[in-house]
Amino acid sequence: MRDDPSVVALVARAAEGDLSAWNELVERYAPLVWAICARYRLSSQDTEDVGQNVWLRLVEQLEFLREPAALPGWLATTTQRECLRLLRVARRYERFGSVPEELTRRTDDTVIDEEIIAAERNAALRAAFAELPAQCQELLALFLSDPPRSYAEISAMLQMPIGSIGPQRARCLERLRRTSSLTAFIDGEDAGAPLQTSGGEAHG
Amino acid sequence: MADRWDDEKLFNALREAMSARRAVSTAFVEAAKSAYAWRNIDAELAQLTYDSSRDHERSVILRSETASIRALTFTSAHLAIELEVAEHSLIGQVIPPQEGRIETQPRVGVPTATQIDQIGCFSIDPIPASPFCLHCRTDDGTDLVTGWITL
Repeated sequence: MRDDPSVVALVARAAEGDLSAWNELVERYAPLVWAICARYRLSSQDTEDVGQNVWLRLVEQLEFLREPAALPGWLATTTQRECLRLLRVARRYERFGSVPEELTRRTDDTVIDEEIIAAERNAALRAAFAELPAQCQELLALFLSDPPRSYAEISAMLQMPIGSIGPQRARCLERLRRTSSLTAFIDGEDAGAPLQTSGGEAHG
Repeated sequence: MADRWDDEKLFNALREAMSARRAVSTAFVEAAKSAYAWRNIDAELAQLTYDSSRDHERSVILRSETASIRALTFTSAHLAIELEVAEHSLIGQVIPPQEGRIETQPRVGVPTATQIDQIGCFSIDPIPASPFCLHCRTDDGTDLVTGWITL
């Protein structure tokens, strides 16, 4: 996981001026930045402010990242710092300043590490989903819809016998398991350092 | 990981991954993509250090007396930019005062430039459409950019 080759390649391409590589980095990791802002219970306006500062900093730093594979950690640490800075600005003008302190305690490094791990896993799963053939994407999307659809509804929508939906779903999940995105993620996880170190000094 | 997961566990993980992405607003993702436009601009990023709309205590007083004036301050290691939103224009000053040029960059479209006078003052007329950012270059060589500003 720490040496995810696709992240290293995307960072290198973005540093050389490839806009599509940048957009892919954003698509992958915007949920991570967003989730950390949510941990600090920022308003939507404040979340946008933090977001723009984090991404502008990344633009500045693209060529200088010491360890491109550790980008999620760098993003998480930078987002956390921006959240705390914004809360300090807000607190300066508020009568009662105890809330940010409580938030700081709750949103400690362990929580940030959890967000990084979840973001890596989620990014790998979304990339794996994108690798699936259209039919599998369509079928799984119906199962993922909210509220969930019944087998009868799915059968009608896809014009597929109801009895073959279950086996087809199992086949699609098996294909998902075998995608290069997910297998690369699993290999990285098995070979990499213990997950708990992912928030270490390397991202500073 | 996924090898050890049965179908339901894998499916639930996929559901979580998709809903984490759906939770993120489109505006947030678009702003992040737009940030790439600053790649070749060799400017320092000025931080928002004061925003009157976050100053709850004072805005309560102002609201009862006069129309509240939105004021913002951006600070970098070398320079601060103070902004006030007037009726039709944006009035600003760089501190310490010095001459230069300031560019207003909308998220979509071409930038417009304004002169900064000897006492560091400038006026941007009309008020740019949000969001926009300011790129300030003073005659002594300070070069800085603010984040996206939404009024």
